[in-house]
Amino acid sequence: MKEEVFEPKIVAFMCNWCTYGAADLAGVSRMQYPSNTRIIRVMCSASVSPHHILRAFQSKADGVLVGG
Amino acid sequence: MDDEYNEELGKRKAIYVPYSQAVPLKYAIDPDNCLYLTKGRCGTCETVCPSHAINYLDQEKEITLNVGSVVLSTGFKSFDPSKLDYLSFGKHPDIVTAMGFERVLSATGPQGGHLVLPSDKKHKKEPKKIAWLQCVGSRDENRCNNGYCSSVCCMYAVKQSVMAKDHSKVPLDCAVFYMDMRTQGKDFDRYLENAKENGVRFVRSRVHSVYPDRDKGDLVVGYVDELGVMVTEHFDMVVLSTGLEISADSFELATTMGIELDRSNFIKTDSFNPVSTSMPGVYACGVFTGPKDIPQSVMEASAAASAATENLALARHSKTQAITIPKQRDVAGESPRIGVFVCNCGTNIGGIVDVPAVAEYARHLSGVVYVEENLFTCSQDTQDKMVEVIREKKLNRIVIAACTPKTHEDLFRETLIDAGLNKYLVEMANIRNQDSWVHSNAPERATAKAKDLVRMAIAKALHLAPLFESQLPVSPAALVVGGGITGMTAALALSRQGYPVTLVEQNQTLGGNGRLLHKTAKNEAVAVFVRKIISEVEADERVHVLLGSTVQGVEGFVGNFKTTVATGDDTRIVDHGVALLATGAKESRPEAYCYGEHDAVMTLLDLDARFAENAAVVDRAENVVFIQCVGSRNPAHPYCSKVCCTHAIRSAITLKRKNPETGVYVLYRDIRTYGQREFLYREARELGILFFQYDVDNTPVVTPGEDHVTVTFTDHVLGRPLAVDADILCLAARIDAWDNTRLGQAFKVTSDNDGWFLEAHQKLRPVDFATDGVFLCGMAHYPKPVDESISQARAAAARALTVLSRDSINVGGIVAEINRERCGGCGGCVAVCSYNAITIDPEKHVAVVNDALCKGCGACAATCPSEAPSLMGFNNEQLYAQIKSAMTV
Repeated sequence: MKEEVFEPKIVAFMCNWCTYGAADLAGVSRMQYPSNTRIIRVMCSASVSPHHILRAFQSKADGVLVGG
Repeated sequence: MDDEYNEELGKRKAIYVPYSQAVPLKYAIDPDNCLYLTKGRCGTCETVCPSHAINYLDQEKEITLNVGSVVLSTGFKSFDPSKLDYLSFGKHPDIVTAMGFERVLSATGPQGGHLVLPSDKKHKKEPKKIAWLQCVGSRDENRCNNGYCSSVCCMYAVKQSVMAKDHSKVPLDCAVFYMDMRTQGKDFDRYLENAKENGVRFVRSRVHSVYPDRDKGDLVVGYVDELGVMVTEHFDMVVLSTGLEISADSFELATTMGIELDRSNFIKTDSFNPVSTSMPGVYACGVFTGPKDIPQSVMEASAAASAATENLALARHSKTQAITIPKQRDVAGESPRIGVFVCNCGTNIGGIVDVPAVAEYARHLSGVVYVEENLFTCSQDTQDKMVEVIREKKLNRIVIAACTPKTHEDLFRETLIDAGLNKYLVEMANIRNQDSWVHSNAPERATAKAKDLVRMAIAKALHLAPLFESQLPVSPAALVVGGGITGMTAALALSRQGYPVTLVEQNQTLGGNGRLLHKTAKNEAVAVFVRKIISEVEADERVHVLLGSTVQGVEGFVGNFKTTVATGDDTRIVDHGVALLATGAKESRPEAYCYGEHDAVMTLLDLDARFAENAAVVDRAENVVFIQCVGSRNPAHPYCSKVCCTHAIRSAITLKRKNPETGVYVLYRDIRTYGQREFLYREARELGILFFQYDVDNTPVVTPGEDHVTVTFTDHVLGRPLAVDADILCLAARIDAWDNTRLGQAFKVTSDNDGWFLEAHQKLRPVDFATDGVFLCGMAHYPKPVDESISQARAAAARALTVLSRDSINVGGIVAEINRERCGGCGGCVAVCSYNAITIDPEKHVAVVNDALCKGCGACAATCPSEAPSLMGFNNEQLYAQIKSAMTV
């Protein structure tokens, strides 16, 4: 039987003014990183409430990243 | 061929994008190297270009424009060190210019940001020792005739050394060889001290030779150390801190126009008109008028805009054309009809992501009625087509899978407006910057991620609702706080643009520090100018001066401020659309060197007063000693006061010229006569003024005598103490910020650790506060000489004009909205709002958002236990849909 490799799914909340821009810049700079994150743009990391984080885990996210 | 943008460290083709952030981001043909244009062969680009954008017949066109003013801002050229044979530039690949090293460190550079030796890129050999050589092509009249200081190289060398240490995987030895470290800008000295703590070595010496070691393959740097000993040291890499100079093209432009240049080919300006050239109506900014850094160039750019539009103020808006906006379609009640546009971005996305597969995938998602693939979704023809499609297919939500909303959302919003849709009904899926570019090594994963991102965007789009903005009229008047040279300049600049100004000054006279200054660096009499500008302000009907007055409180926001000003016991309320804070700074009173205890000891401003009154001591003095950095650049005040080196040397020259017999001594740590001020330093040395460098841990000692003081200090070359009996001891006292706490609180603006007003961005927004409609200028921002204060005053006026010249400002859109049913009036949101945008309605006991103050951060929404506030465009329904969709395939 083929062994399944663990592929974590990570929800990333990123602030429009810093981290989201940094993620764009990582692209402009052609940096390479694993494709497991799904970025959700927010207007400030302060707008991410515990509800959002818990909702991500409820939806079976393996990890949550808040960037701000 | 060699890529000139990468300082010839990399290669490019004959059809190329000059650099990755080029605007417009388009390919250009290099006519000197294109085979088709030079030899009539090839023509491949024309055959492969899917957009048929290649036009070999395109020619340079001459265009005639009728304009009222011209601004010259052609910038600089980096000094070419191959002219200096002692540096061996071009003889070894590991000797690079500072510009070249910038490219080495840059992620978009020829080495992908990896710090490896250009001589051994193949084995990725990393340097272990790097030397920076300062003043290459600057402060040097013997080898290159560039006698001026280039102003920026010390700071960029410190930055590069710190960044190189950061980049390096091995412990890296960085050494900077310098004559004086000139880190006179805001916060620059702190950066220098941090670099020293990080282990960057600073060696005070001018390197006499650099040559490759044939046996070892590395580089030998030969210099004389501070004790006069000849030293040779091996380095893996040498960076030449090349200076700034005027290019032959700029020189030709200026001379053709008949504009006066200085001896170094910079445009000649005077301190009181720093952006005006010798030709009326022609203005200049940036390095064309002298070497300067980014913040100063940005300020001057705004200043030139202010000066260039003053005479044209009456013609403002006379050539603008109103845009006709189609009527917005009401989509309420319609079920979602989503149109998805998937962009290939040439090959940027399409070369990695399977775009047809993504488009096909989107077709089957809920709410999607139309899907299209584009080569470039942002191109004008696609935009036009999109407008038609939206109308034809009655689309009411749009999803664009392309690049980043940070650069392109506004463009697509415009397209929606053109199509008669509310501009907030668009959502972007970032499948380029955050997908194809960062997963180019894994195309299948990139495609899978692109599908997820499109699905998430559609999930959010299903919940998008139209958002509305309202317009608030702008109060077309300005308030300027501070009646010094800066405040008066700003007030006059705004008045000449046609706007009334209230100028608030706490003293009973205008002029500020300008009343205390004797001469500028260029030997212009400050008093004459101050008298002139005061009379201009007093004669100006649009400028209303309130002397002996202070700001008590401020209400309102950009476009609509109401400020309470107190004059004695009277208070009045001033309506204004913008505020400019120009409160200045003050020379501190030294607490050392017998200041205040002996009459011979004075500050630079005290000495200026003696000059102004022709005091006998000035003519009589046998010996005059200047001590620099008194109270500056120490742990308690870790900043450079910027103006004192030039001020002291100007005063020293005045004394020496009055009486050549006077012995004049300047005791300094680093002489910081940046830019063309360097010529003043040279003049001082030529006149026989003596300069002695002292260390911060071995400061001069002052002993009071009867009618003089004895100053004892160590001579570095002799290594022995020297003593001078000084009739005048002039202290370059630190410049202090005023306590602006109250004013800052009133306008909701902040100051930094040293008390200087904090700008929105140190490099790119040097006169804006983070608070809209409030601007800063002059010494309240940081110590600076008269010319820079005037530039900044004009810059602040220009920035203020961007608000004043509008009839109204738009508020709303992405702002918080309170659901009154849910709000308990607890005030939790009020406490977390950084912008004071929320208040509690005293009667209804519910929170109320002021749309003009709300910055749309959504902190209130995250804080409220009842979820009463929601951030429009980013509400919980939308975010939850995105979260859920991220996880469900």
